[in-house]
Amino acid sequence: MTRYTRLTGAAVLLMLVAGALIFFYAPEDFLQKEPQRIFYLHVSAAIAAFACFAVVLGASVAYLRTESPRADRLARAAALVGVVLTTVTLGMGMLYAKPIWGAFWTWDARLTSTLVLWIIYAGYLLLRRLAEPGRQAARFAAVVGIFGFVDVPIVYFSVTWWRTQHPGPVIVTNALPPEMLLTFLVTMACTLFLAGTLVAIRYQIETLMDEVPSPAPSHPVGAAPREPEPAR
Amino acid sequence: MIYLVVAYAFGVVILGGFLALSLGHLRELSAKASEKK
Repeated sequence: MTRYTRLTGAAVLLMLVAGALIFFYAPEDFLQKEPQRIFYLHVSAAIAAFACFAVVLGASVAYLRTESPRADRLARAAALVGVVLTTVTLGMGMLYAKPIWGAFWTWDARLTSTLVLWIIYAGYLLLRRLAEPGRQAARFAAVVGIFGFVDVPIVYFSVTWWRTQHPGPVIVTNALPPEMLLTFLVTMACTLFLAGTLVAIRYQIETLMDEVPSPAPSHPVGAAPREPEPAR
Repeated sequence: MIYLVVAYAFGVVILGGFLALSLGHLRELSAKASEKK
């Protein structure tokens, strides 16, 4: 059993513990009833995504300073995990919004800035995929990774800067009863562990892909393969 | 209740699927790398 299989097993086990707390320990919310339980993973996934994008920021700064391939690989790994976690945040958020607000989506500041965050880092991944691998692509991506992070504080503070339908912060304002707070903190810790495991696995994949490059295409990406010359 | 079930099913499919795919990809690349050595 490899280190990564063990890490995956631990992450799955921790997420099952979090699930047990969410469904069997946390009390039902008086106003929102059952759908309120979506909150625990929805917010935890958002915080884990922010952590991943902070790693992209740090690794991108490190790459621009040192041009270390390790920093570039870490940025690529963390960006992909961050996009997956933001997808979970947005999807679960829409399924939380429907029974509470009566609509899956509303163009308020929190939802819109989170969608913009997803688009920025999906664009980062697209840039990495389509650009010719090398120093130039890594430098461009590092700049996107640094400037893309500007949206993270905008997402976080959007509920205080603008009037939004999305509720404001409940953790820092101590608005949760102790059982709900404990469930949230455990779920957040487990989700951060899962995110760390995913980044470690993706980092190893990036390392192996750099060592074992796939065969180069015979024609540039996006261009049609050249037709054979007709016989004269 | 249906939204709660669908929301967690969505989360499990996305996160679990990504974890399983990543682990499978890592195994495949590790096998290729050890073959090369």
